[in-house]
Amino acid sequence: MKMADGCVFFRRNRPGITAKNFCRWPDEPFEEMDSTLAVQQYIQQMIRRDPSNVDLILKMPEAQDEAVWKYEHLRQFCMELNGLTVRLQAECHPEACTQMTATEQWIFLCAAHKTPKECPAIDYTRHTLDGAACLLNSNKYFPSRVSIKESSVAKLGSVSRRVYRIFSHAYYHHRTIFDEFENETFLCRRFTAFVTKYNLMSKESLIVPIMEEEGTTESEA
Amino acid sequence: MKVPSQFCGSTMEENSSSASQNHNGQLSSGANVPLTNNKHQGNDNGTNGDAKNERPQYSMPGILHFIQHEWTRFELERSQWELDKAEFQARIAFLQGERKGQERLKNDLVRRIKMLEYALKQERARYHKLKYGTDLVIQGDTKPPIYEEGICNCPNSDVGGGGDGEAPFTSVSNISWRQGRQILRQYLQEIGYTDTIIDVRSSRVRSLLGLSNNTDSEDMNTPALNGNEPSNKQASENSVRRIPGKKQPSSIAEAIILDTEAAVMANFEFLAHTDMDMEEEEGDVEDDTYDTNMDPKPNKPSMLLTEDVDAEAEEVLNELNLLTEIEESPPGSIRYSSEWSAIRRGGHPDPKRLNEEGDSALELGELEQLCVNNEAETSYDMVATTKESLRKTWNAKYTLRSHFDAVRALVFHPTDPVLITASDDHTLKLWNLHKTLPAKKSASLDVEPLYTFRSHTGPVLCLAMCSTGSQCYSGGLDGMIHCWTLPSANIDPYDSYEPSVLSQTLKGHTNAVWGLSMYQLRSQLLSFSADGTVKLWSPQSKSPLLHTYISEQDGIPTSVDFIRDESNKLVVAYDRACVVFDTETGESVARLEANETKGVNRVVAHPTLPLVVAAHEDRHIRFYDHRSATLAHAMVAHLDAVTSLAVDPHGLYLLSGSHDCSIRLWNMDNKTCVQEITAHRKKFDESILDVAFHPSRPFIASAGADALAKVYV
Ligand SMILES: [Zn+2]
Ligand SMILES: [Zn+2]
Repeated sequence: MKMADGCVFFRRNRPGITAKNFCRWPDEPFEEMDSTLAVQQYIQQMIRRDPSNVDLILKMPEAQDEAVWKYEHLRQFCMELNGLTVRLQAECHPEACTQMTATEQWIFLCAAHKTPKECPAIDYTRHTLDGAACLLNSNKYFPSRVSIKESSVAKLGSVSRRVYRIFSHAYYHHRTIFDEFENETFLCRRFTAFVTKYNLMSKESLIVPIMEEEGTTESEA
Repeated sequence: MKVPSQFCGSTMEENSSSASQNHNGQLSSGANVPLTNNKHQGNDNGTNGDAKNERPQYSMPGILHFIQHEWTRFELERSQWELDKAEFQARIAFLQGERKGQERLKNDLVRRIKMLEYALKQERARYHKLKYGTDLVIQGDTKPPIYEEGICNCPNSDVGGGGDGEAPFTSVSNISWRQGRQILRQYLQEIGYTDTIIDVRSSRVRSLLGLSNNTDSEDMNTPALNGNEPSNKQASENSVRRIPGKKQPSSIAEAIILDTEAAVMANFEFLAHTDMDMEEEEGDVEDDTYDTNMDPKPNKPSMLLTEDVDAEAEEVLNELNLLTEIEESPPGSIRYSSEWSAIRRGGHPDPKRLNEEGDSALELGELEQLCVNNEAETSYDMVATTKESLRKTWNAKYTLRSHFDAVRALVFHPTDPVLITASDDHTLKLWNLHKTLPAKKSASLDVEPLYTFRSHTGPVLCLAMCSTGSQCYSGGLDGMIHCWTLPSANIDPYDSYEPSVLSQTLKGHTNAVWGLSMYQLRSQLLSFSADGTVKLWSPQSKSPLLHTYISEQDGIPTSVDFIRDESNKLVVAYDRACVVFDTETGESVARLEANETKGVNRVVAHPTLPLVVAAHEDRHIRFYDHRSATLAHAMVAHLDAVTSLAVDPHGLYLLSGSHDCSIRLWNMDNKTCVQEITAHRKKFDESILDVAFHPSRPFIASAGADALAKVYV
């Protein structure tokens, strides 16, 4: 509850509010957030304010634990990738995309199974996101959202590598979908900046030429 | 039910009189205010709805409901007693087994001591002979000790004299425990195999307990040689105290056997109703400690629990688990393992009983209480008190973690231990409560989702389930209502994508769909949206949209439900009032409002009574009679906005969730809070977003803004 101009309001979505007003409330300063989910709140608040301002979204508040910061960002990425997956489900059929590929260089094996499997692209996408959801919510590896176990920090890199392939498959095989989605969310751009900034993936593996394209994506779409 | 007819008579009388008293009380205190619905003349009970008209309220359905209600209550209590009884009987048998094991071990040790003693004597004699050249004359026997297994019934006669006899035995109590369990395991196996041949089983039990020739109850109670003694004794005492109520068995042993049989039978019955199984029960104990650690404001039951008890219980459960694994093939043994879980279950609902393995003093108290309860069976007046003492306490057991953002809604499968959650992360997830991840000690059981439904392009806000559990419906911020065909509850979570899971999409709303309600009998679905409309759908038919309801003066709805006792009506909540519509004509037939009403977040109709319950932003829960359009009761229910409501299938309890982070269970009858559980954390100013009762199993669930859903048993 916050007092603003003498009237009390709550940052909550009452049933019946319109899609436009969903989560539309005045920003709360990060210092004033006392919830255990403060980092998620803050990240989502920044994204809502301006999804294209990637650098600001990735700018960590002072005195913030970096592992938690990375972890919460990765959660947000996986969550927003559901949006891309929904679009891919309509177009990426297992008959056409029998394997998870981007450029012809690599075929990615799906690690969600006991023995890695050559899943069709759409299955790879879903399995990878489902697996990431389980891992990032696992009580074993990430029991807390306010402090991350030292031993689990490495998991963030492997999750990043796997989910990045969803971007690359969409970019190289379903370009229209990719561009539509990217224009709305700037997600691949943010993701690329994120993994680069925190050194979660090697430069060579970032095969979607998103950073160089800066400013040109819109005209292409 | 075996309630004598005179009981039924008195029950009716008691309660109808007390009901009318209640009624009068409400009138005089002015809570039963006629509301401002005077404009709606179509309503029978319209303008003159004052005290006189109200008094003769005994309608046939009302009385029937009351009888039904009482009957279910009695049934509930009865099954509770049976559970408790079975539990204690099982415990007696268990302790008997333990004791037997210890006795064996002790005998074994005694034998070794005697051997050593003998060897020492021999050695001394030899030494003496060497030194003095003469034979040592020893008083007493020089024969090697003869040990006969199975004869030794009285532990004291062997070691009794030796003061140091006790020390070694206590030090090896661990091994003896294990042996005891071994024996218990054997014993249970026997029961499982021969559940038709009672005689054989009795003799088995008898021989296993080593009581074949034993009629002396004192002998039974001979103190065992380790710390387990007090509870052992109590258990026996308890059985003694129960016997008078039954036919008189000739010995304690027989009584125990008879009781065990009865308990086993009772449990078979119980299983037929509830179909419990091992997986459901495992985590009971662990959960509580988990909650103690995690919750800033832990609920009382969890405080009583100690780590030791936890470890103990877990060990026993593992033992039983192991047993099921070993004995997978014969059906009998599987059944018995579920019995055991059922027995355990009986113990857990009462928080005090959690201490049973740790605190023998407390246990005595419990046993005494149990005896009192048994006596109460004969006197109606006692029923109220027993109800209090045997009331179920819910504990968080399963944590459903896999969503990335707030869980907005959840819905249970009509029959299976399966539920679906819907989240701000754009997905729905399917969970099978039997598919839990192996949890480490003192953590609640984590469930891994079986299937993720993706098709909404924004947060998913509401859910409904069809009567068979084959279809479920979800409404989203994207204005879509999707109809999903549920995958099998045993699907591989990483199976290939099957587009046909999304069987249909109901289009019509032009803005966020915030609520769904299912009328199972007609397979009709209600939805309401931020576009201001309420729509009635028949999802299976060719043109699914049946009707649209709008109330111009009220604006955008905030909740919707079918009126369950009059199937041609539905109730829609608006910011200022709840409006009852006729489903056919689409006209509003009643307005439910109180002067101070503000912001209804959820409205639900009682399954059998003409009662509508509304959860308000102003922390109130209000109960309306939708026929007379009167406010029946209003109460401040939470510390913050009440967001969600659910009524149990029998209409006896109400569950509410609030942004104050807690869920509360209410007695529908007297509107008292039965239990409060702190369940979720806050994200911004939101905390609990939905609650639910399982339609046919003892589960309740809550969904939180913290991306978790929890299931309580
Ligand atoms: Zn593809
Ligand atoms: Zn796969």
